Amino acid sequence: MLNQKNISLLMTGVLVSAMTACSDKHNDTGTEFAPNMYHSVAYEPMSQSKGDTNTINPYGMNMREPVKGTVPRRDYGKQDGDSVATKLREMDLISRNINKDDMAASESLLSNPFPNNAKNLERGKEQYERFCQHCHGEAGKGDGLVAKKYAGVPVYSSDALKDVNDGHIYHTITHGKGRMWAHGAQITPADRWKIVMYVHELQKQ
Amino acid sequence: MIIMKRLKNIILSALFTAFAFTSVNAQDVAEGEQIFKNNCGACHNTSDEALVGPGLKGIQQRRSVDWIVKWVHNPQAVIASGDKYAVELYNKYNKAQMTAYPNYTEGQIKSVLAYIDAQAAPPAAAAGAAPVAGGSAAPAGETNGGMMQYILLGLLGVMVLVLVALLSIVTSLSKLANSDAVTESGEKVSFLTKLADSGKKIAGNGAFKTGAALLVTLLIGKATIDAAYGIGMHQGYAPKQPIAFSHKLHAGEYQINCNYCHTGVYRGKGANVPSANICMNCHNVIKRESPEIQKVYKAIEKDEPIEWVRVHNLPDLAYFNHAQHTNVGGLECKSCHGEIEKMEVVEQRSSLTMGWCIDCHRKTNVNSEGNAYYDKLVEVHNKDNREPLKVQNIGGLECSKCHY
Repeated sequence: MLNQKNISLLMTGVLVSAMTACSDKHNDTGTEFAPNMYHSVAYEPMSQSKGDTNTINPYGMNMREPVKGTVPRRDYGKQDGDSVATKLREMDLISRNINKDDMAASESLLSNPFPNNAKNLERGKEQYERFCQHCHGEAGKGDGLVAKKYAGVPVYSSDALKDVNDGHIYHTITHGKGRMWAHGAQITPADRWKIVMYVHELQKQ
Repeated sequence: MIIMKRLKNIILSALFTAFAFTSVNAQDVAEGEQIFKNNCGACHNTSDEALVGPGLKGIQQRRSVDWIVKWVHNPQAVIASGDKYAVELYNKYNKAQMTAYPNYTEGQIKSVLAYIDAQAAPPAAAAGAAPVAGGSAAPAGETNGGMMQYILLGLLGVMVLVLVALLSIVTSLSKLANSDAVTESGEKVSFLTKLADSGKKIAGNGAFKTGAALLVTLLIGKATIDAAYGIGMHQGYAPKQPIAFSHKLHAGEYQINCNYCHTGVYRGKGANVPSANICMNCHNVIKRESPEIQKVYKAIEKDEPIEWVRVHNLPDLAYFNHAQHTNVGGLECKSCHGEIEKMEVVEQRSSLTMGWCIDCHRKTNVNSEGNAYYDKLVEVHNKDNREPLKVQNIGGLECSKCHY
């Protein structure tokens, strides 16, 4: 007969099965049709090929670092006109030859290839919001949300920084300065220059 | 002019002597705070913890005010003069030159010192404040726990009620089973036999048979179709990752833009999984001791990949490009990925089926404004169409757009 013990047993059984069903689901993709389409046989970036399919790279990784000493020749863009594209390429190549400790060289050799206009400033603001704002704050006062944890984020309008030039800011983004680490890998040279332009605006605030 | 300057100096020094022996002037501290935060805070702490330069707690015990003023006005000159302390400092901090601030007056520098002392001095006040903070934090935790307890108690109550109801049903049923009914003919028929008889009657009914068969077929059919639809659908998939990275903390609480780590999302096919150097941009300082962060350090030291588990995975037969959707289409990340900034563990929210793609391509208007590329297309489209230009009108439903 059904007594209290049986009922409670039944209920715990239902509960346990329900819970295990849920936890399984989170770690399981479910049935895949043609699994070799999901786990590609061809080399996909950002993934590792298991087994003996990729024996060239360690851990079966499908991406490789660029060969030492090579310089990526990116599309410097014609949309801003030939003169801007030429100067952008020139600045990129010069800055690649400047040592990361040589701030003075950047200050004297580099200048912004982009003309200061509303479109470029808008792009600079957008990039600033994506890459800088969480530390440097909306107005460059060093009061971003992450800065509270990180500490030592400067104020752009301070006496030490309000007059720093294009090259100084570009060098800082590319190689880092003081406590800030290098961000050159995350932002293209063109966007770095547009951020430089926007930071100049924040220095005035 | 010179007389004026002198007069000013005399008045200033008089003021200083007047204030020198009174307690620290609040205005000085406020002025000092402003100067410190604007200029010094990037490299110095008011505590004894070093940032780029040394922590400044107790600097007045280490150095005289005269020395500090000279140093602030021109650190290079002090080092060049061969001052032992200065040279040691210079060498200790990787020969990083401190910026000279020649424009700050002695008074202003003293204000900064007053601010540093005010920050360092009140350990009593800080100690007084700490328990308050702790006290305010503890009840928050308690209320949280309290809520949980109430919920549990409520659940227990509901379960007891259910139990009582079930027990009462069971007892009334067993009463029925035990009390044998008396038939018209006077025969005693047990409840169970009666039940079996009526069961046989119902089973013999043709209409019931058909109905039952239909029901079973339908149920099986539905289960089959559901299972078939589930094939290749990863919706709800939220695998455990090798490092317990929380998007809720990084993207939600600290509002770090998706693009900061997912560098390819506006310019590539894939959004990119961040490499360890991006983690290190913050975690070279923040939470270094955490066992989860230590996993990143270990991966860097051993030059090993961090084996993140892919959550969103389209099969090879479908081509998808992030840049086309984010940069050109102007889609927000969350329109496909859901509220990532609220997810502790990332979960696939959208179904990512072809129907889901097509649905969006049918509904979405093309933003053709200010883009000469679309001018002719819009013109042709508007000739025999009153609806605005949709993605489907520019080939968004073509098979070969995604399958090739």
